[in-house]
Amino acid sequence: MTPDVPLIEVRGLRVGFHTSGGTVAAVDDVDFSVRTGETLAIVGESGSGKSVMSLSLLRLVPSAITSGEILFHGEDLLAKPAHAMRDIRGGRIGMIFQEPNTSLNPVQTIGDQIVEAIQLHEAVGKAAARARAVEVLELTGIPSPKARMRSYPHELSGGMRQRAMIAMALACRPELLIADEPTTALDVTVQAQILDLMRELKANSGAAIILITHDLGVVAEMADRVAVMYAGRIVEIAPVTDLFDGPEHPYTIGLLSSMPSIDGDSDTLTPIEGSMPDPLALPAGCRFQPRCPFAIKRCAVEAPPLETVRPGHLSACWRAPLLETLTRGGQQ
Amino acid sequence: MTSPNNATLLQVEGLSKKFSVAGRWPWQKRTLSAVNDISFSIAPGETLSLVGESGCGKSTAGRMLVGLTAPSAGRILFEGQDLSGQTASQQRAMRRRIQLIFQDPYGSLNPRMTVGELIAEPALLHGLADRRSANDRVAELLGLVGLAKRHAGRYPHEFSGGQRQRIGIARALAVEPRLIVCDEPVSALDVSVQAQIVNLLQSLQDRLGLSYLFISHGLSVVRHISHRVAVMYLGNIVEIGPKAAIFDQPSHPYTRALLAAAPVPRPGARQASVALAGDMPSPLDPPSGCRFHPRCPFAIERCRREIPALTPGGDGRLVACHRWQEIPAFQANAPGAQHAPKTTRLLALYRQAAANSNSRMSSN
Amino acid sequence: MSTDITAPQTANPAGIARPHLLRRLSRDPLALIALIFLVAIVVAALLAPVLAPFDPYDTNLRMRLRPPGGDHLLGTDTQGRDMLTRLLYGARTTLALGFASIVVGSLIGTSIGLAAAFYRRLEGPLMRLVDILLSFPSILFGLALAAMLGVGMDSLVIALGLSAAPPIARVARATAASVMQAEYMDAGRVIGLSDGALIRRYLLRNCAAPIVVYCSLQFGETILLAAALGFLGLGLQPPTAELGSIAAEGRSFIFLAPHVSTAASLLIFMIVLSCNLLGDAFRDLTDPKLQR
Repeated sequence: MTPDVPLIEVRGLRVGFHTSGGTVAAVDDVDFSVRTGETLAIVGESGSGKSVMSLSLLRLVPSAITSGEILFHGEDLLAKPAHAMRDIRGGRIGMIFQEPNTSLNPVQTIGDQIVEAIQLHEAVGKAAARARAVEVLELTGIPSPKARMRSYPHELSGGMRQRAMIAMALACRPELLIADEPTTALDVTVQAQILDLMRELKANSGAAIILITHDLGVVAEMADRVAVMYAGRIVEIAPVTDLFDGPEHPYTIGLLSSMPSIDGDSDTLTPIEGSMPDPLALPAGCRFQPRCPFAIKRCAVEAPPLETVRPGHLSACWRAPLLETLTRGGQQ
Repeated sequence: MTSPNNATLLQVEGLSKKFSVAGRWPWQKRTLSAVNDISFSIAPGETLSLVGESGCGKSTAGRMLVGLTAPSAGRILFEGQDLSGQTASQQRAMRRRIQLIFQDPYGSLNPRMTVGELIAEPALLHGLADRRSANDRVAELLGLVGLAKRHAGRYPHEFSGGQRQRIGIARALAVEPRLIVCDEPVSALDVSVQAQIVNLLQSLQDRLGLSYLFISHGLSVVRHISHRVAVMYLGNIVEIGPKAAIFDQPSHPYTRALLAAAPVPRPGARQASVALAGDMPSPLDPPSGCRFHPRCPFAIERCRREIPALTPGGDGRLVACHRWQEIPAFQANAPGAQHAPKTTRLLALYRQAAANSNSRMSSN
Repeated sequence: MSTDITAPQTANPAGIARPHLLRRLSRDPLALIALIFLVAIVVAALLAPVLAPFDPYDTNLRMRLRPPGGDHLLGTDTQGRDMLTRLLYGARTTLALGFASIVVGSLIGTSIGLAAAFYRRLEGPLMRLVDILLSFPSILFGLALAAMLGVGMDSLVIALGLSAAPPIARVARATAASVMQAEYMDAGRVIGLSDGALIRRYLLRNCAAPIVVYCSLQFGETILLAAALGFLGLGLQPPTAELGSIAAEGRSFIFLAPHVSTAASLLIFMIVLSCNLLGDAFRDLTDPKLQR
């Protein structure tokens, strides 16, 4: 496969839900692609639609109305029959969840769960599957993996459970790994271990990763490219250094300004005023405009498209490129 | 920020908490030592942070201060008076001066009470308002935390997480406390909302001269909000001192590991190699000697045998480590840990614009 | 700050009693029929003195055991009293008995359950007591109590209430125990609320809905037990009209005049079935896990 063909390409993805107040689009017209070996981080706050989107990639959202295209190796996952999706889930596309406690089966040993996952997707014998399970557990840095095969999830610490979860996701050598807040429930020192592990595994296996997170620190450490989501849409997408060295969407800047500065100078924080809009009553024009300090009249009328600001750096803002517009225009 | 004076508001001496836990059989009892002989003090107007990972005992320490958990040993002196050696009614009057803000903005407000009832309840209870003045007091408190009077008639479930946290703060303020124990007050909130709450806490401190015991695992917020910091590991304080000392030159190997592990929003800023190995041991079965020794990269034989005491380590700090003077100096602020120039300019423009639009809004 | 105001919360984690309970109940046709039937019976029982065509105690031995039809729409009983009248008054007694008993039972049961959840020291003794009471069949328990307390409305209510209390106590304790885990209980303690205020304003208010639903399920059970005691002769003494004793009276003439026993039994059956159907529907409606 040529490196230019994306491993997964999402086009015009829309995920809606029926509620008592009307139909709500949790994900609204999202396009992005991920190449083999690449890590795409999807950042956003609660209500941005990032988790729903990641789950809908594997068609794991019940009662959702999904439209658009999800091309995996050029084949549309949304058009596949249910049994074909079952083969892909946990096989060619692995998934890591935030809470290993709830996503591991509490009454089955770690070993049995991994073996089951392997045998579900590949025609291998019990012994071969067990050997592979021990191998992946070892790969994730779990001490004495043979003994751990017989452990139940509750006998492991949070960090070890997350490692087991990763081992399970890796057992079938997936080409794409979707990690939904994989370290949010963990302590900082354990988070650092897991992030290191994920980086190392990616380097060795060449799998692509879609990393869903709310933590810009984790993004900076892990991602090759970053997509910032707000109220169901991608507002900015860029290579990681581009994004941190010159963000082009006011929301991204607002997220950065909400964080205490990293060199520890304590002036007051500048939060993003207000809160995430009600999905049933989205503002006209740009969805961020009511909270945006840079907003102009046009923003309340017309929704800005996601357009290239610099090569590889896309932003959905009428005022991009921001620094140029803001300094040239002086006081508007 | 008001500079804290030297008088002491709260003095904690040798505070411990041991829980009795069921063992494998009903007749077997094991002791879990959640907090182990910790001492610290808080001055009026000061923020002391308790930092540590889950299971280090920081929340238990906070619960003992507000009287939700009875200490197994030690003393809590508030305004010079021992909280434990008092009658129930005296204690109730004293306890009012120490309030608690909870982590979970969804679970900490009684869902069956309106916001007005929730805020008026403590004021009425302690005779700080009567039925007639309660409404005015509620309106005043709502204004103080950035909510409007008309919110008083609504129920908690009608509010977002950040707004609920404001309600919780208003409720704590209703009894005119001097010290507020903030138990992970922003951990459950989104980044942009976190900043709103942190700013609110700081401005309230300025206006009302409050002291905070700020319990958190989020190092960047702790660094932003505290005057002094205490780092806890497995029930013990391993290092305590002024913020600058702790963050710029951490002495204890665990403090260093914590700082090194925190992700930084700047690509390539964190050195991946300093990650700490292993997990925190179970407090049911703590290691001998220094409790950190099994994970400590600098541990020697002595650490396995002897428990290190908190000893002065310069800059007004106390460290509990046998080897803190011998181990290599720590580079806390890697030079790359600052925003790029362009980002810095954009951030400045954003702050300016945000300040402008805020003042425009308030002048209207 | 004024923008940070009206973010509506779509989720309702607190499980606040939602409006339109009746409208959603109407989507369950079976429950709706049960509701209509119960309301009709209750109204009829309340209006018995107005609706009843005859005097319930007016015996006429010449008219005994007449089949349904004619003057007596549902025939007459062993003493020649009008069956329709007897049934109306009987339903009145039985329903009143059941209602009073369930009120007594829920007061006792809820108190025990809340106390056990709030004071952990009391949990062991109180719940073991409840376990012991639950290990008797409730009919046996009611029989023993009724025999012990003697005959009469008061003692019957106490006996029925006491036998309804243990399962209610269990449900109340389980509900209260989960509410005790909520942080707002701690929040109430920190502001200095007394135990009494905590239990009333925090604990009880948050467990009330599931307990009430459970009590409505128990209502049918209690009525059944009341009728059973009446049938066994330990209920209210004749000539008081009571569904259980009416059924018992007709028992000896079951082949001669089946309508006496059958009508009373059928009425008991319908009332209890309606209570259970309605209770089930209420439980489904108030359980957030079963929503949508």
